[in-house]
Amino acid sequence: MPFREINSKMVEATVAPGTRLFSQRGAMLAYRGEVSFTPNLQGGQGGIMSMIGRRVANEDTPLMTVEGSGTVLFGHGGHHVQVINLSGDTLYVEADRLLAFEGTLRQGTMFLGSQGGVMGMVRGQVTGQGLFTTTLQGHGAVAVMAHGGVFEVPITPQRPVHVDPQAYVAHHGDVRNKLSTALGWRDMVGRGSGEAFQLELSGNGAVYVQASEEKL
Amino acid sequence: MSTYATPGAGPVVHDPATLPADDNVNAYTFCVELKGSQWFLQKGKMIAYYGSIDFNGIGHGPLDRLVRTSFHSPLHASDWVVAEGSGKMLLADRAFDVNSFDLDDGNLTIRSGNLLAFQPSLALKQSIVPGFLTLIGTGKFVAASNGPVVFMEPPIRVDPQALVGWADCPSPCHHYDHGYMTGVLGGLRALTGIGGASGEEHQFEFAGAGTVLLQSTEQLMAEQAVGALPQQAGVPGGGTSGGHGSQAGTPRLPGQLGDLQRRFGL
Repeated sequence: MPFREINSKMVEATVAPGTRLFSQRGAMLAYRGEVSFTPNLQGGQGGIMSMIGRRVANEDTPLMTVEGSGTVLFGHGGHHVQVINLSGDTLYVEADRLLAFEGTLRQGTMFLGSQGGVMGMVRGQVTGQGLFTTTLQGHGAVAVMAHGGVFEVPITPQRPVHVDPQAYVAHHGDVRNKLSTALGWRDMVGRGSGEAFQLELSGNGAVYVQASEEKL
Repeated sequence: MSTYATPGAGPVVHDPATLPADDNVNAYTFCVELKGSQWFLQKGKMIAYYGSIDFNGIGHGPLDRLVRTSFHSPLHASDWVVAEGSGKMLLADRAFDVNSFDLDDGNLTIRSGNLLAFQPSLALKQSIVPGFLTLIGTGKFVAASNGPVVFMEPPIRVDPQALVGWADCPSPCHHYDHGYMTGVLGGLRALTGIGGASGEEHQFEFAGAGTVLLQSTEQLMAEQAVGALPQQAGVPGGGTSGGHGSQAGTPRLPGQLGDLQRRFGL
């Protein structure tokens, strides 16, 4: 496993020749050995078309490629860091939450409207994800940033999970999500509970929730 | 690490007997026990105390001797307060992580903003690295950091913002990584700025035997004044340097166009 959590805000990554990592620019705290940090023009994997896709989708977080041999410490902005291991399934996460991920993962961009049509787009607006989100697929590890600690809530077919859209960090697995609204006349006259929108996630997988409603 | 022993049991209530002596109460608060002894602390970092403790700004007559023995740079002594008396005193700084460190006939250099308090048995001096302070001797000191402090052994290269300090002289120096700016494409990148920079071109490199202290994020603590440097030739950051020495401004990257004066060696 390339990522080792040193404390709640710092991870140590091992870089070996022949493998590479992608990380957010400026997130390196220290390193040992011969490691090079190259700014990545395309903002991630794939060719020019992927880059254009990310630019259009506004999912183009500045990334850098980390290569060489040694160990690197990553941390950023005082945010808590959570390492997520993927074994073949897909992680859905906002690009600016990515601290670092392995080069073995396939990076893509997904249109939220393709998951739930118009409601998917509304959901994207409410959660602050916008119309697009980043997907990472394959075998490997991802270090994700969150404000406050992160906990993992498993989703099983019998037990759908409801999450506050602002506390949502990421999810993986075969998960359907939809925005459930509990809007009533109280919300219209400004006497709502403040919890009118919730994300309902159902299926098989896990959702990561941060212990704060503050965005990055 | 929660202050709640069991869920639902409520917070732990401390009284003078249960407060730890010279130890952390939680990750953000440190408790100092005074028994007629003295501590130096930065202004405004005391949050509560039990017992009878006097806080005196340095510069009071009776404290002159203390300043002479513990502060070897009296120029910035006015930023410090002496706590004297008996009791227990709680220190904290804006919910940053607080840790105490013991020095045993050792030396440690620390970023000026991170040092909260120290025992007078330690001598505080200005480091020749501007913005850093050096503690020498035997005793305890308390430092704040953004996120827990991580100790690393050299050789290591550290992001300048993540550095808290170092102990036992592992000879800090600058290191520049700009391998990707060489070659035709790299030169183009350096000239035009297309492609951006990785933000990791510059590190502090530590070599030799010792320990390097890192904080977990790249957010700096506000710098504290360390006092004026003697205006003398040969003092880094202070005064006039002899001859060619002062190349002001940012370091130059290869591929960057040089100034005309430099080209002509003026």
